[in-house]
Amino acid sequence: MPVTFTFGEMLSARSVIGSTLAELGEQYENLWVLTPDIGATLVEFRDQFPDRFLDVGLAEQVCVGIAAGLAYDGNIPVVSGMLPFLSMRALEQTRTDVCYPNLPVKIIGTHGGLVGNGGSTHYAVEDLALMCALTNMTVTSIGDPLMVGEVIRQSMQMQGPIYIRLSVGKSDAVLYEPGQHDVRIGKGIVAREGTDATIFTHGTTVLQALKAADQLALDGRSVRVVDMFTLKPLDGDLVERCAAETGGRFVVLEDHLAYGGLASRIADVVLDRALGLSSFERLGIPQVYAGFGDDEQLRDKHGYGLAATVAALRRAVAGASDPSKGTR
Amino acid sequence: MDDTKVGEIERLEDLAYELRAKLLQLCGTYEGAVHIGGDLSVADILTALFNYGLHVNPADIADPRRDRFVLSKGHAAVCMYIAMAIRGFFSYDDILKTYGQLGSAYGMHPCKVQLPGVECSTGSLGHGLPLAVGMALGARHRGASHRIVCLMGDGETGEGSVWEAAMAARSNELGNLVAFIDRNRQLMTSFAEERVVFEPYPDKWRAFGWEVVEADGHDMASLVAAIDGLPATDSGRPTVVICETIKGKGVDFMEHNLAWHAGSLGPADLERAMAALEASRRKAVA
Ligand SMILES: Cc1ncc(C[n+]2csc(CCOP(=O)(O)OP(=O)(O)O)c2C)c(N)n1
Repeated sequence: MPVTFTFGEMLSARSVIGSTLAELGEQYENLWVLTPDIGATLVEFRDQFPDRFLDVGLAEQVCVGIAAGLAYDGNIPVVSGMLPFLSMRALEQTRTDVCYPNLPVKIIGTHGGLVGNGGSTHYAVEDLALMCALTNMTVTSIGDPLMVGEVIRQSMQMQGPIYIRLSVGKSDAVLYEPGQHDVRIGKGIVAREGTDATIFTHGTTVLQALKAADQLALDGRSVRVVDMFTLKPLDGDLVERCAAETGGRFVVLEDHLAYGGLASRIADVVLDRALGLSSFERLGIPQVYAGFGDDEQLRDKHGYGLAATVAALRRAVAGASDPSKGTR
Repeated sequence: MDDTKVGEIERLEDLAYELRAKLLQLCGTYEGAVHIGGDLSVADILTALFNYGLHVNPADIADPRRDRFVLSKGHAAVCMYIAMAIRGFFSYDDILKTYGQLGSAYGMHPCKVQLPGVECSTGSLGHGLPLAVGMALGARHRGASHRIVCLMGDGETGEGSVWEAAMAARSNELGNLVAFIDRNRQLMTSFAEERVVFEPYPDKWRAFGWEVVEADGHDMASLVAAIDGLPATDSGRPTVVICETIKGKGVDFMEHNLAWHAGSLGPADLERAMAALEASRRKAVA
């Protein structure tokens, strides 16, 4: 049954994970699903393929270690859980047991960023920095819930490991019509065209960047929005193209530490390719242990909410010629 | 049992009832999810600890001689906040009004940065016992005679760090360390033994060299007896009190129900839950 979704509609990324894994379980007899007691979304797979489902209980390290063992034995294991614990408790297993031998283990999880109001133990804010540091790891962060399914499907063809980061995953805004963009791991998505500046972002803040671009449009400014859902390998060619086509004016927005995530990866490309930007501003989480509050409030409090994004874009385009003077 | 003890136990039972009622009220008014199942299963344990077992003073939270309490199952934070409020540490009204709000000291997992009255920030399971071992080592080293008490979930003890800490505690002969385990036989998405085999559970702790006490975690007399029987803090063996409990205890539709690991009650469900709590109390008294 084909379903169509429209922009802004809410959909649970977790349910997409559940149905995608069940579908792939049918297709790939060597697909395993493992979880450290975070199995609510995996019920479909668990019920259809009980002998390829493993809930190890509260034991993240062992979960990733077992996944690596299964991969050595020719299987494709998916580990699903909460990212603060998967990315940190099991970091060495991920690095040494999965990445070092370049095994096809997929780590998918929720709670990337200041989301879910769990407090600092439950916010994965440094996970992308950690994962990007690992040799062989492909690192993604996804906002559009339907895209999650597409990325999981594509990752079945990959040799090595992949990290797939989601927000809370209970209610995510649909950003794209299915088929609207060519979704390819390793390639950024130009979610909106623009010429005055580019805002790069990933995950849950793509929607916020689109809203900010809307506001700039009211000022007569044209802002390009890039959904850089693959942080590693980074689409350096797209970064270079944006520098040339949007006046070298960059803003990077992310629900992750402002230093160590996408902004840092883009800055590396800018330096390595000597792109010579005219402006560069990063919006993300400062070096604090954030307290309680809902997602939007925390983004506002920590300086990377919608208002701050609009302000940063206004600063960026201030250097561009003023459209009201007709000199473009 | 002498009369003063009987009176003490009745007082504690009343306080535990008050704690459960306040928990439900918060769960019925706060919009987000509350870990109500695992809160209700530790309500009696926390009442017994904060009102009987722990030497703590709400008027002096920095007293170096105080017993240290580490809530390793940090998702029961709100139960601890309210138990501590009942003991006089915090204001229940503040908790109820601000829980989970921007800037509040009270949220889903305890945060020492924002709420200095708690001993440490927890919520990532498997961290509490190692912290408690460190506190116990430090205390013994400087000749202090207070106790370190750490409360864990049984599911939480699947984490390897718990057993590494258990080994360290025994190796260092930490008789000033006591672990309480909320043995409600449920994890988040499965029942104990269904996916993870815990039994023979007390024997596992014995094999790690711990003194094992088995208690009924919903029977105040049993909890008080376990606390009374704890060894002196200068003894050489850590003790674990394994408390048999029911996740969701006191609210029939939450008991033994995986759906109530975390949830919220609307106004109608709140009324239903309060009625169930009242009924369970009548049954216990009868
Ligand atoms: C390291 C870690 N992994 C996962 C979680 C998510 N989580 C919170 S509670 C819970 C289940 C805990 O079970 P148990 O310790 O038995 O507690 P209880 O059943 O009493 O709530 C899980 C998986 C977490 N908080 N920390």
